[in-house]
Amino acid sequence: MANMAVSRIKREFKEVMRSEEIVQCSIKIELVNDSWTELRGEIAGPPDTPYEGGKFVLEIKVPETYPFNPPKVRFITRIWHPNISSVTGAICLDILKDNWAAAMTLRTVLLSLQALLAAAEPDDPQDAVVAYQFKDKHELFLLTAKHWTNAYAGGPHTYPDCDSKIQRLKDMGIDEHDARAVLSKENWNLEKATECLFS
Amino acid sequence: MFADIFNTNRVHFVRLLSTNKKLHKRISSSSKKKRKRFCNFFRILINVDVARHCKIEHLQMGYDVNRFQGEVDEELTCPICSGVLEDPLQAVMCEHAFCRGCINEWLSRQPTCPVDRNALTTSNLRAVPRILRNLLSRLSITCDNAPYGCTAVLKLDAYNSHLEECVHNPKRPFPCEKGCGFDIPKDELKDHNCVRELRSLIVKQTEQMGQLKTVLTDQQLTINELKRELQLFKDFMRAMRVSNPAMRAIADQMERDEVIRWSSALARARVTRWGGMISTPDDALQLMIKRALSESGCPPHILDSLMENCHERRWPRGLSSLETRQNNRRIYDNYICRRIPGE
Repeated sequence: MANMAVSRIKREFKEVMRSEEIVQCSIKIELVNDSWTELRGEIAGPPDTPYEGGKFVLEIKVPETYPFNPPKVRFITRIWHPNISSVTGAICLDILKDNWAAAMTLRTVLLSLQALLAAAEPDDPQDAVVAYQFKDKHELFLLTAKHWTNAYAGGPHTYPDCDSKIQRLKDMGIDEHDARAVLSKENWNLEKATECLFS
Repeated sequence: MFADIFNTNRVHFVRLLSTNKKLHKRISSSSKKKRKRFCNFFRILINVDVARHCKIEHLQMGYDVNRFQGEVDEELTCPICSGVLEDPLQAVMCEHAFCRGCINEWLSRQPTCPVDRNALTTSNLRAVPRILRNLLSRLSITCDNAPYGCTAVLKLDAYNSHLEECVHNPKRPFPCEKGCGFDIPKDELKDHNCVRELRSLIVKQTEQMGQLKTVLTDQQLTINELKRELQLFKDFMRAMRVSNPAMRAIADQMERDEVIRWSSALARARVTRWGGMISTPDDALQLMIKRALSESGCPPHILDSLMENCHERRWPRGLSSLETRQNNRRIYDNYICRRIPGE
């Protein structure tokens, strides 16, 4: 790995560790391997959003050409958000693509992702299904997002109704994650979800 | 081998070709052997090109902050490499400063300021203010060769001159003691084998000699051809001249024009001491003058007569002796003199 990438990452790592946000536990970062090419980030769901109370884990891969090219970031924790794929965790954020600038750091990337959770861009979606729900059935979107936050990121809001519907599908031999994904997609309509799964 | 390189670097190759259409034509029209030679040439070019594009490991970047004594202010670090600014440049508009190597690398990818993303190109970069340079030069840095035992701590402005003479530098060349004549980096000295190195040198030079020989033969052939053609032309001209008086007049006019063109191409000169002029040049001096004349492009048909007139016994009466020259020297200012370049 290029010398510059390593030395920058090392300094950025320290920067995050010293930052105020780490004191407030709103972001966190840790090493995955000794070569500094892969890191694990964690961001707290911002307050007054359906993600509040959740902890979202991110996979950060640092390319050899860093900081001339952006780090590759992906959500490991499953999340229901218009700009994040509910299947792969891929993120649609301009600064991680064409709008990357070399002076940005891991800290600013994590903070930008936190800001993305607070302010979705449904008109530039990564996950069209979620974006559609966000725009068309916003109440349902909030419920789904809170439910996912509870199920995957340790959020506080539980929805027994959702859980029981998932349990029904599980009883039919469907994987829990698949069941949740399909039900979310079908606006928690059990009949449609079943139809979708078995047709 | 070549095919691999060609395929992976098709873009470079095409770009290289398109920069020189003449070369392209020559390649496609040349023989198989010649084409192979061109390809070898391109392989070298491509390797150089690829090395430049793919590797940023050797990029000049800022100094590691940990090598400095005490805290370094964040204002003195490069936002790209996060090291202390090395050879810094700043953007004209937003005044953000970066290492020269870092910002050039970034701008080769994206024409924006890495901090605020405003439009920025290399032409909008300029030197940083003196105060920043001064602050940087006051920082104390440990030598790059500290792992090899150098304990020096230097001001940044004296750092480069220290690096050049640092005795701990493992790459500092030392002359081989066994007498092969090579200068070897200190850390490679123990693996150095005089015979092997000399042998590879011989192989390389033999290869070069072979190439040069083919070039030489090619050129010899061309020269002979041209000589023959020239002779033919001369004969033709002579025949024309003899047979046709009008042609003779044209030829004479051309010769006169040539002399005027040559003399007006020479720079004007002023003789400061006519008395101190060498008026009886010896053979060696004459030879030198003749060479200088012909190198300056003097038309060959007047060369001999010029040389014959270079001794004072053939000079005009008013110049012919030291005495007349001293008497008449004020009038000589009216002469137009030209300088023949040469020793």
